[in-house]
Amino acid sequence: MGVVFSRPRTGRFWRFVPVLLGGFIAVFPFLPFVNDYWVDVGFFVGLYGLLGLSLNVVLGEVGLFDLGHAAFYAIGAYTTAILNTTLNIPVLLLLPVSALVASGFAYLVMSPVIHLRGDYLCIVTIGIGEIVRIIIVNNPWGITNGPNGITGVGFPTLGPFVIQTPMQFYYFVWVVVAFVAFMLLRLQKSRIGRAWNAIREDEIAAEAMGIDVRAYKLLAFTLGAALAGLAGNIYAAKMAVVSPQSFLFMESALLFCIVLLGGLGSLPGVLLGAALVVIFPEVFRRFASFRLLFFGLALMVAMIFRPGGLLPRRREILELDGLDVQGFSAEKVSPVRIGQVSLKEHSPVQVPCELDPCPLLEVQGVTLRFGGLVAVNRYNLAVYPGRVTSLIGPNGAGKTTLFNIITGIYRPDEGRVLFKGEDITGLKPHLVVARGIARTFQNIRLFPSLTCLENVLTGLHCRGSSGFVSTVLRMPFQVQEEREFVETAAYWLYRVGLWEYRNELARNLPYGRQKYLEIARALTTGPELLVLDEPSSGLNERETEELMEFLQRLLQEGITILLIEHDMNVVMGISDWVSVMDMGSKIAEGSPWEVYNHPRVIEAYLGKEEEWVGSTS
Amino acid sequence: MNGVTVGSFYALVALGYSMVYGVMKLINFAHGDLFTLGSYLGYTFLVWGAAWITERAGLWWGVLGAILFAFLANAGAGILVERVAYRPVYRAGRLPLVVSALGMSIFLQNAIMAVWGPRFQVYPSDLVPVASLRFLGLSLPLLKVVILFLSLGVMFVMYWIVEKTEFGAAVRATALDREMATLLGIDVQRVILFVFTLGPALGGMAGVMNGMYYRSIQFSMGWNYGLKAFTATILGGIGNIPGAMVGGVLLGVIETLLAGYIPGGGAWKDGFTFLILILVLIFRPTGILGEKVAEKV
Amino acid sequence: MKSRRLVAFLFLSAVFFWGQVFAEEPIRIGLQAPITGSFAIEGQMARQCVEVAAELINEQGGILGRPVEIIVADDASNPRDSALAAQKLISQGVVAAIASYGSSVTEPAADLYERNRVVCVAYGATAVRLTMGKERRYFFRTCGRDDSQGEFFARFAVETMGWRRIAIMHDNQTYGKGVAEETKKYLEPYIREGRAEIVYYDAITPGDQDYSAALTKLRESNPDVWYYTAYYPEAGLLVRQAREMGITVPFVGSNAVPNEDFVRIAGLEYVVGTFMTQEPLPQDLNTPKAQEFFAAYRAKYGDIPSSPWPIYAADALFALAQAIENAKSTKPDDIAQAMRTMENAEGITGPIVFTERGDRKGVPYAMYRYNEKGQLELFTP
Repeated sequence: MGVVFSRPRTGRFWRFVPVLLGGFIAVFPFLPFVNDYWVDVGFFVGLYGLLGLSLNVVLGEVGLFDLGHAAFYAIGAYTTAILNTTLNIPVLLLLPVSALVASGFAYLVMSPVIHLRGDYLCIVTIGIGEIVRIIIVNNPWGITNGPNGITGVGFPTLGPFVIQTPMQFYYFVWVVVAFVAFMLLRLQKSRIGRAWNAIREDEIAAEAMGIDVRAYKLLAFTLGAALAGLAGNIYAAKMAVVSPQSFLFMESALLFCIVLLGGLGSLPGVLLGAALVVIFPEVFRRFASFRLLFFGLALMVAMIFRPGGLLPRRREILELDGLDVQGFSAEKVSPVRIGQVSLKEHSPVQVPCELDPCPLLEVQGVTLRFGGLVAVNRYNLAVYPGRVTSLIGPNGAGKTTLFNIITGIYRPDEGRVLFKGEDITGLKPHLVVARGIARTFQNIRLFPSLTCLENVLTGLHCRGSSGFVSTVLRMPFQVQEEREFVETAAYWLYRVGLWEYRNELARNLPYGRQKYLEIARALTTGPELLVLDEPSSGLNERETEELMEFLQRLLQEGITILLIEHDMNVVMGISDWVSVMDMGSKIAEGSPWEVYNHPRVIEAYLGKEEEWVGSTS
Repeated sequence: MNGVTVGSFYALVALGYSMVYGVMKLINFAHGDLFTLGSYLGYTFLVWGAAWITERAGLWWGVLGAILFAFLANAGAGILVERVAYRPVYRAGRLPLVVSALGMSIFLQNAIMAVWGPRFQVYPSDLVPVASLRFLGLSLPLLKVVILFLSLGVMFVMYWIVEKTEFGAAVRATALDREMATLLGIDVQRVILFVFTLGPALGGMAGVMNGMYYRSIQFSMGWNYGLKAFTATILGGIGNIPGAMVGGVLLGVIETLLAGYIPGGGAWKDGFTFLILILVLIFRPTGILGEKVAEKV
Repeated sequence: MKSRRLVAFLFLSAVFFWGQVFAEEPIRIGLQAPITGSFAIEGQMARQCVEVAAELINEQGGILGRPVEIIVADDASNPRDSALAAQKLISQGVVAAIASYGSSVTEPAADLYERNRVVCVAYGATAVRLTMGKERRYFFRTCGRDDSQGEFFARFAVETMGWRRIAIMHDNQTYGKGVAEETKKYLEPYIREGRAEIVYYDAITPGDQDYSAALTKLRESNPDVWYYTAYYPEAGLLVRQAREMGITVPFVGSNAVPNEDFVRIAGLEYVVGTFMTQEPLPQDLNTPKAQEFFAAYRAKYGDIPSSPWPIYAADALFALAQAIENAKSTKPDDIAQAMRTMENAEGITGPIVFTERGDRKGVPYAMYRYNEKGQLELFTP
């Protein structure tokens, strides 16, 4: 089948663009037609570029609707203004201080609400933005001076050198922008950046792949707020006066537009967006009262024709031609080996095993109710290592719900789940993954805008430990970890036969291959137990046979498999044990042939013969 | 009592907002400005045409005419807005829609300013009924009572349409799952048309009544209402149309109480309103009446 | 013979022409105003006023024989845009700037003008700190200051009218809160003496439409007088709603309230009898300049401006014109010096004289009252 490959942006030309741009920015103030006014415009482009980058972390990378970002900007500006005018602390020293205060505020305020879904989060951020502004206007304890604002903010000084002319401010802000862009670029291409993007693409899948979604969302907000605080400090220093009028809701909306105009997650795009947003009204000054009219029109037109942004984000293309994928051996990147390395770290409270031999996974009397409906009713299941266990039953029986309980998405009302003797009932999904259980989803949940390689790399998230600092500073340990990650991911891609597609966006893959991609991603987490939800659905006969072979090989390598299936060929073909579920309860259990002929099972499937007889496609 | 009046304005606007939002998953920032448009259209009608009607049929017919005019004209405007700003952007996803909505909002606001001027316009007092009603010792302006009843009536009709009729079921179905609705034979285009005519029309109606009640209108008045309407929608639960109405009234009441009973509260009123909203969302994340959308894992 | 005369003629006409061209080079004066944004009305009216004033000046020969050219820059009532607008005007080589409306918007611009040595005359910025805070050698204003108005009201309320229980309402913005705070300050001595007390001090939210809650609170505080220190749109709504609620407390508005739109919004019946603290109104000044100006303005726009601030903007231009004439130079230091010392500047609002720090000298306040025809009259108790 023909696959549409998206051409990555290659060519020597594009490599020069950042250099050219940097050069232009550097010499801009010296160009012939440029006077102080245009230098100031350039300053504001830089400032809004910085603000755009700060919002990009939250909105572009993680996809969180933040329409109150001006609040952090305001806090940075006011922190600088207040501390400088009352305690005479030098402005430049207040640069990191403002960032810290803003990020601290973000952490405190967003913690209780970070779990809210998209649009709710949106209104909460709007609320926070307004509350901050109202607090400033009302001048509590006399520190903000109310609507008049605070005047007399000093200039940043570096020893004898004072930053005060337009040109000096211009270079100052652009140097800061350069540093920040550099840092963000490093983050983008790292474990952290991928985790953020994964959350944006599909939060539930991200959590199921071992990413602590809540922590990373908070990290994004904290970082975004810190950067906005930086911008606030620079703004206060430049204007010498801060007043609440600069931090209206419109400001947050403007930042939102900058990020979207430029392209979510695209650093050059954001800078371009900032340039447009600042320059557009200036250029259109001659139209006076129609200025904003045109601006509104321009926004709409932009979204109609370039909704992805003007410079949409391009995923990182790793050529990796030199990688000797075929030479990889199972031992070198054996998932079980990797799994064991991390599992050694924690010592769970061991619940003594009643059955013999000890099951890998035990579901004991688990019950879950949704309102008045009992989805899972006192279910018991034992999965033994080295075997394939299948869970079957009519549609709507509650099979996926049980899987969700096992993997931590739901917390059961009664009963418990034991894995390797440890009680993992109700443990959050990303912690379950770390323990060694990985899953796929019934309706494939890939990260569509990420490349196949990146999709698979997310699986390694929980096995890594490089954090913010080591990523930004590019410490050798982090570089090494990245390399190992890529090798492991490459190995699994190769195993599922997707190596040629490694740089292809996941959403461009045909359905069958997407299923394998999801399995590869799950395997990369180094699980001991692989939980598959209807892996053969949508596959034809030949593909199903290939799948079965693949699963057999995994078994030989030591991975235990638990699956939900409707395709009887698969169930009969590879299962060692079958459990049958109907309306939330277990109605039969045993070897495949026992179950196949069980009267209650046949009764449950009565009327649904098309599911029962032979393979389905 | 006053809270309820204010609240009923919020509720009407929120109703229109919630409909668009529920069905289209689109935060229609331009809705507030459509509200403004409505009030300006009503004003225009009153200034140009109402005198004629009033002379013949009395004050109330002039009022009715203004409301009707704004209702219809706004419905048309709503369709136009949808065609121009939103339809071309649907396929791009939700975030570009937000920007487009913002752009449309800015555009509308400035267009209104360009056409009618930046000055405050005042509804002509001789064309607006000022009679009062004595009730239980309170002197209530007749207009207030009429507005209240009209709003409640409209809300009731809307509720009935959405919850009890077949078409209403179609609307709800489209809100829950557009693709599925299409497959089931529901004419989604018609639903979208309905939502985008009725929503702005309601907003326009609210705008006229608002103009008559408070008398002065300005091009930037819609912004505030739009934000409050959004808040009310969320408060009541996304996609929940009766919820939006309740949310609107509740918002009005809360605001009024805060301004009245907390010392110095007037200045902090909006802040407290948002704070309450945030607290509600923390403890009851699906809104007060609960949302009707569940996500399948 | 003939050719020589021809040459002479050509030469003379060339010189004459050249001289004219040179003499025609306009004096550029910048106007920074909120053409867009929430105060667009004020900004657009300011532009109209200044342009009419410029035309008047040019009809009478311009400044130092050169025509005046007004360059307008929009600051959208936003500090950031204000800085950019100021910078733009400076880069365009304006000799002086008339800026701006709104104290927190004017502040960054004033700093820029100061740093670049461009004379700046504000017309709608009443915050005290603009002239009394940092030292600004190039900053002036033709409008009054918050404190003089506050002082006037305090004195008038207690001494002249004997009002004891005072309610002060503002809108939490720079101007409104500014006047409110100054009023409070000047009431302090009376409060200590026991001759006055502040029974209500709160803000409403501008842009809102329903003030019943605030008004209920106001009524409960049982004041003798109600002083509202912010803008006319809200004032109009407040007065009407208050009266409809049956609140009969005497209403006093600060100088941003009286306005024909205020009368329209509140309704004539409720406006009658309300007081206003106001600098002497143009209608009460029969200065020749005022008559001239209003005639020209009316001819062009059909009506006189509905707000005092744009008139101060026009006066700023008249002041600058006079200063430049006096100084016979367009150099900023000369202009600033002339502004400070001149005594012969005539404005629409009367003689324009500046203090050492750049404030308008002698802006007296008076108490006005609306009569049955909806017109303001000087109030004599």
